[in-house]
Amino acid sequence: MLRKLFAFLYRDFLIAISYKFGFLLTLGGILFSTAGFFFLSRLFEYTPSSLKIYGGYFPFVIIGIAFSDYMMTALHSFSSTIREGQVTGTLEALLLTRTKVSTIVLFSSVFSFLFTTLRVFFYLLFGTLLFGISFKGNLLGAIIIFILTIIVFASLGIISASFIMVFKRGDPLSWIFTSASTLLGGVFYPISVLPGWLRNFSFILPITYSLKGIRMCLLAGAGLRDILPQILVLSGFVIVLFPLSLFLFKSAIDRAKKDGTLTQY
Amino acid sequence: MEGIIKIRGLRKRFPVIKGYRDILLHPTRRRYVEALEGIDMEVNPQELFCILGPNGAGKTTLIKILATLILPDEGEVWVGGAEVRREPEKVKRLVGFALTTERSFYYRLTGLQNLRFFAYLNDIKESSLRIKNVLELTELTQVADRRFATYSAGMRQMLGIARALLADPPILFFDEPTKSLDPISASRIREILKRLVRREGKTILLATHNLEEAENLADRIAILDRGKRVALGTVSQLTHNHRFSLEQVYKSKVSA
Repeated sequence: MLRKLFAFLYRDFLIAISYKFGFLLTLGGILFSTAGFFFLSRLFEYTPSSLKIYGGYFPFVIIGIAFSDYMMTALHSFSSTIREGQVTGTLEALLLTRTKVSTIVLFSSVFSFLFTTLRVFFYLLFGTLLFGISFKGNLLGAIIIFILTIIVFASLGIISASFIMVFKRGDPLSWIFTSASTLLGGVFYPISVLPGWLRNFSFILPITYSLKGIRMCLLAGAGLRDILPQILVLSGFVIVLFPLSLFLFKSAIDRAKKDGTLTQY
Repeated sequence: MEGIIKIRGLRKRFPVIKGYRDILLHPTRRRYVEALEGIDMEVNPQELFCILGPNGAGKTTLIKILATLILPDEGEVWVGGAEVRREPEKVKRLVGFALTTERSFYYRLTGLQNLRFFAYLNDIKESSLRIKNVLELTELTQVADRRFATYSAGMRQMLGIARALLADPPILFFDEPTKSLDPISASRIREILKRLVRREGKTILLATHNLEEAENLADRIAILDRGKRVALGTVSQLTHNHRFSLEQVYKSKVSA
C-alpha cells in the first residue's frame, strides 16, 4: 500500500515540478494576499470585541484563508481527479490496474493536500515573520480539529466526485459548500456580524466549527476542554458523512459501469 | 479443450443519455440501444482469437466487459476461471488490456516514468527488470527517457502494449492496436502479437475491422454485426477452404 501511495505522490510531484513557473506564482500569490490583508487590517483602528481574543483582524483572517484552502482542496481534488482522468483518458487505464478505485481516488488527492499544507505553512510563515502574528499554540487541539476537518471535507469531496462520476459536470454540492462556507462560515469575518436569521445557517456548516476551533487553539491558546463543542460537532459530521461518502462513491462507480459511461465526459 | 474465456448468453444495452433527465429516469422508463445480443463464444488457451466487425458492432463493448470496465446485463462471462461480475479483482490479475486510446498516459512524464507508475499500481515485484524487458520487446528502450508528449502514434501504441504486458498476464486484450498507424508500425505490432502467442504462450483477444490483419493473425475469428455473432471459425472454415475470400464472407455476413 505504501508503494502505491509513493507512486501517486511521485507521479504528482513530477507533474508539478514540470510546471515550475506555476509553483513560483503560487508562492508570489500567497505573499501578495497576506500583505493585502495586513494593510486592510490597518485600515480599521477599532477591533470588535469578538476579534480581540484572536489578537485582531489580521491573525483572524489569515487563519480563515489558510484553512479554507483545505476545504477547497478537499472539495475539489477528488472530483478533479475523476474529471481529469475522464478527460485525459487515464481513468480507464487506472481502473484496469490491481488497485481499488477508492485507493486510486484517495491517493490521487494526497499530493494536493500536501501542497495545500505547504501553502498554509507559507501563509503562517509570512504572517509571522513579515507581519508579526504571534501564535499561542495549543498544538494538540489544533491537530485534532485539523484531522477531523480534513475527514469531513474529504467526505464532502468524495460525494462531489460521485456526482461527477454519474453526471460528469456541474457538481452542485461543491458549489453550494464553497459559496456558503465563504459567505457564512467565518472565513473573512466573524459570524457575529451576520443577521440573526442568516447566522443560523452558519451552524450547519462544518467550516464554522473548524475555523472557530483552530483559531481558539492557535490564537487564543484555548485548552482541549474549551474546544470540546467543536470536536463533538465535527466528530458527528465525520460519523455521518464518511460512511455515506464511501457508499455513494461505490454506487456511482457501479452505475457508471452499468451505463458504460465510466470514461465519458 | 477447456476455454480460458467463456461467454454464455451475454447481453448488454446502454441507456440513451442526452441530459440530466435521462440519468435520473427509472431504469424501466429509459430508452436503450442494444450493444450485445446473446453472445456465445469460447476462446482457447494460447489462441489468437480475433473479433471482426464494422464500427458499432460491439467489439469494444465485449472487450471492456471482459476487462471489467463495463458490467454485463445478462449472461455469464468467465475469464481464466473467474466470473467478471463476481470476481473482478481476480479477472484484473489475469488480463492485460492495450487500450485503443493513446491518451491514457501522463503527457508530462517520460515513457519510463509512466511504466514505473503503472508497475507500482499492479504490485509488480522486480519492476525494473520487467520494465526493461517490455521496453526491449516493444523496441522503446531508446526513447524511454523522452516525455510521452513527444511520442509518435506508433510509439504511444507500443507503450500501451508494454503497459499491458507489465504484469505478465496470461490473457491479453487488444482493441484495434494498428488503427491509424503507418504500415511499418502496424507490421511491427502484428509481429509482436504473433510472438506473444507463439513463443510466450499468451492468449490474445484482438478486436479489429482490418480483414487482412484478422486473416494473417487469427487462429479463429468471430464476426460481430450489430451486437450479434454472425459467424465463428477458423479462416478455412469461414471461407469454405478458401473457396471464397474472407472479404466476400465478411460482406455477406455484415449489414451494409
